[in-house]
Amino acid sequence: MAEITVQDLTKIYQDERIHDQVMAVDHVSFTCNDGEFMVLLGPSGCGKTSTLRMIAGLEEISAGKVFIGKTLVNDLAPADQNVAMAFENYALYPPLTVRENVVFPLKARGMPKVEIQNKLREVVDVLDIGDILDRRPAELSGGQQQRVSLGRCIIRDADVYLMDEPLSHLDSELRLRTRGELKRIHELNKRTVIYVTHDQVEALALADRIAVMDNGVLQQIGAPAQVYEHPINLFVAGFIGEPPMNFINGTISTAEGTHIFSSFDYDLNIQLPESLMVSARGWEKKKLVLGIRPHHTHMVHEKEFAQRSGKVVIYESLGEEGVLEVEVEGCPLTILTEPELRLKPRETVGVSVDWENAILFDEESGYSLNSNGD
Amino acid sequence: MKRSRYLAPKRQTLIWLALAGYAVFALFPLIWVVMMSFKSHIDIISPVPKFIFTPSLENYKAILFGGQSMQYEAGQTDFLLYFKNSCIITISAVVLSLLAGVPASYALARYRFRFKDDIAFTFLSFRFAPEIAVIIPIYILYQKLHLYNTYVGLIFVYQLITLPLIVWIIRGYFEDISVEIEQAAKLDGYSWWGVFTKIALPLVKPGLASTAVLAFIFAWNNFIFGLILGSSDTYPSTVGTLGFISYESVLWGQMAAATVITIMPPLILAIFIQKYLVRGLTMGAIRG
Repeated sequence: MAEITVQDLTKIYQDERIHDQVMAVDHVSFTCNDGEFMVLLGPSGCGKTSTLRMIAGLEEISAGKVFIGKTLVNDLAPADQNVAMAFENYALYPPLTVRENVVFPLKARGMPKVEIQNKLREVVDVLDIGDILDRRPAELSGGQQQRVSLGRCIIRDADVYLMDEPLSHLDSELRLRTRGELKRIHELNKRTVIYVTHDQVEALALADRIAVMDNGVLQQIGAPAQVYEHPINLFVAGFIGEPPMNFINGTISTAEGTHIFSSFDYDLNIQLPESLMVSARGWEKKKLVLGIRPHHTHMVHEKEFAQRSGKVVIYESLGEEGVLEVEVEGCPLTILTEPELRLKPRETVGVSVDWENAILFDEESGYSLNSNGD
Repeated sequence: MKRSRYLAPKRQTLIWLALAGYAVFALFPLIWVVMMSFKSHIDIISPVPKFIFTPSLENYKAILFGGQSMQYEAGQTDFLLYFKNSCIITISAVVLSLLAGVPASYALARYRFRFKDDIAFTFLSFRFAPEIAVIIPIYILYQKLHLYNTYVGLIFVYQLITLPLIVWIIRGYFEDISVEIEQAAKLDGYSWWGVFTKIALPLVKPGLASTAVLAFIFAWNNFIFGLILGSSDTYPSTVGTLGFISYESVLWGQMAAATVITIMPPLILAIFIQKYLVRGLTMGAIRG
């Protein structure tokens, strides 16, 4: 077991077609503590997999350093560092059965047979692959292959575990269950894990800390609650959270002690609570973005409690909850509601917003006003 | 769609007849040679082609053990030597090509390096350059290097036939293996060599076998290199068969017997490996 330290990690690809260099990973630095479950989160092409592969030693490092424990592993061969990895496209050995695939890394390192059997039993239980042990990868569904691949990773007694979208091909029920199992194993064994995903729900559910990446740049790193409640910039705010955060472009003006946020695009003026103004001092008359999460906006039945009235655009009932899109003075807002509401398009509903939970961003830099720009 | 899946019976019959016709056309020379090898000289030179005759093993006896053949002198008893030459040269050429070509094809499939495509193309160009175009310079070179009429020289020049074939086909097989499989093995604790021998090679084994047989057949069938760069010590049996044509007569029967024996090794190999051969040439794919 070990911590992982990444310093100014950079990956530059040579793009043959445009004869130019592409910076896939741009000076990324972070530390994943011993026993920590860290999730690299970002949209596809953001450099999270490249980062993971450089840590694993599978990708040449263009610049920067990777330490596992106290050892600089930049130039170590993958075989010389004790790293286990689950690949997104499974990477199972076609001629071997599931059983042989799962125990392969143990055999390769010469573990005694009895121990291998015990380990195998554990993994089989966790991943529920007991009934397919004697089949070959070609006879398995994508989800089954993915579980076998995950099994081959977690069966090892490695310093660090690297997982590249290990649940992406599972159907939703199985994904949820395997996610829970992963979490449970981690709570039990406290291994160092770096987990790559584009699924923010997965990240929020699994991570001790989330590192959000975009365009090869590390945007923010922090506990799930922190990243969710205090996104550092517009990208993080928009990427995390389902349905995504509402954004309104506008500017602040202060008159007679009240602070009004006026939208540029709509005839919408919002009185901001004092708490929000703490960080917004001196930002008057500048271009800002006001962000508010759908679960901080409410639909109210009793008209007298409503701050505003909105027009229903579309309503989706999702079983547990409902997602309502309304227009308030023409400005689109997404609202999280209860399910099974009978709402028709163009119907008028009351809308109430907890503006103290809103976040202000600088439109130009994209940074949250709370973040002091760093 | 029923129409596309099942051919109409009439259409099917026509296709069947066409294929049968082609099979007769393609196989007739072979059958004729086999028949000839069991005929006596009189039967062979009979002005009316004879389909019914008394078979005899005289021709085979003559080429394998020498001695009198009918009323003619058996001028040829070197056939066994030529057959042995063919075996030595062809098998060595294929083995050498595998030793050099498999690592080369792996490198071409897996690594990025300067002039990679040029090197790959150079290999291929060996194949489409007509042998006759390069044979004179090679002949002169071989005379000077004392490689003329040696096994080593012939094995070397046969690389022009076997190496491109092996490099290009095996390269495709290696490319079909997902890189991640090899990377997973590296992380599981295998060295580069371990990955190559324990993961990559076993995965291309079926392709390797069929390609080796294919290379063997091409090399075995070669005529021009042996004819010009070899001499009576090193002639392969393709060239050796010519020896049955002498000034006073042509020993048709013995020539036919020699031909039949000569085509045996590739024929047997091809039949054994037929299933893989078709797969290897058409798909070249191993799905992970």
